[in-house]
Amino acid sequence: MKRLAVALAVTVIFLLGSNEVILAQHEHHEVKSTDKDDSAPKHQGKNETAVVKKNDDTTKTSPKVNAKVAASIKEIVGSYLQLKNALVNDKTNESATAGAALETTFKKFDKKELAPQQKKVYEDVEDDAREHAEHIAANAGKIEHQREHFDMLSKDIYDLVKTFGSPQLLYKDFCPMYNDNKGAIWLSEKKEIRNPYYGKKMLTCGSVKEEIK
Amino acid sequence: MKRAKQILFVFLIAIIVIQFLQPARNQSGQAVQSDISNTYSIPDSVHTLLGNACFDCHSNNTNYPWYSNIQPMGWLIERDIKNGKAKLNFSELGSLSSRRQVSKLQGVENRIKDGTMPLSSYQFMHPSARLTEEERQVLVDWIQKAQDTIASQR
Repeated sequence: MKRLAVALAVTVIFLLGSNEVILAQHEHHEVKSTDKDDSAPKHQGKNETAVVKKNDDTTKTSPKVNAKVAASIKEIVGSYLQLKNALVNDKTNESATAGAALETTFKKFDKKELAPQQKKVYEDVEDDAREHAEHIAANAGKIEHQREHFDMLSKDIYDLVKTFGSPQLLYKDFCPMYNDNKGAIWLSEKKEIRNPYYGKKMLTCGSVKEEIK
Repeated sequence: MKRAKQILFVFLIAIIVIQFLQPARNQSGQAVQSDISNTYSIPDSVHTLLGNACFDCHSNNTNYPWYSNIQPMGWLIERDIKNGKAKLNFSELGSLSSRRQVSKLQGVENRIKDGTMPLSSYQFMHPSARLTEEERQVLVDWIQKAQDTIASQR
């Protein structure tokens, strides 16, 4: 009788273990199907970004957003710059914290305040940027991995401020060496170069490409 | 001695029981519209490399080895597939925005370059997934071309 009980217990434990596998898989399928549903509008958003960008190149950014949106953008840029400065200083834990803050800011952004066209652009950027912020937050201790995501994140934030207007004077800087000499951009609040991709190793390497007001 | 026999008996029963707990197979059997091969042009050489090294965990169609039918091996494989597809799924890459497609491909390039992918445990069981320097370069070159294509369509 005792033996049977033990056998049963072991079986139950294994059952639980396998259930976890199966359940987790189901969850995963659900996530994917929502991804698919979103895809169509996102693609349209892409084209609009291109159009908006073309206009902005000549006119500087002309924000036609309401105060609440402007405040959220300001918060996003603030977290981004915090992250940038943490990477400049080779501080991986601070980078993770700033990444988490950035993710939170994106999460609580009130999209109802956006006009339909703006919403498409915003969602396109947010979708990508949030993933990078999440990875940066989750990879404390792996600063090179954080920098990889920072590279892609910087392009997103650049498109964001070009579309919605920048809350402050920003410099678009360029590091020609990163990515095996493919190069990478970043945004800075200071005119002097402080390179977030290599930190101390190459602190002043790079050049200002554009001023964003 | 009697105690040892009991434990062995329970263990054997457990092993037999878990054989009945087969996770669902990751095999959709069809290429959906969003599949990578419908999104960009992929030369055969690149497709073969991706198939050998990536698709088992990063697509909707896994080519299962025989030992996947034996638990708990099947569960471990299932876990890798689940984690792999959560990060990147080549079968559904085309359903993402072009911005995210570029990001995902950049991630692939970075992992190939730093050698963290394919996983060493996967390479151990799959000799064809052990990419040579040249093969890695072929993939990296293709990724950069694909990224340019996507970016130019934006």
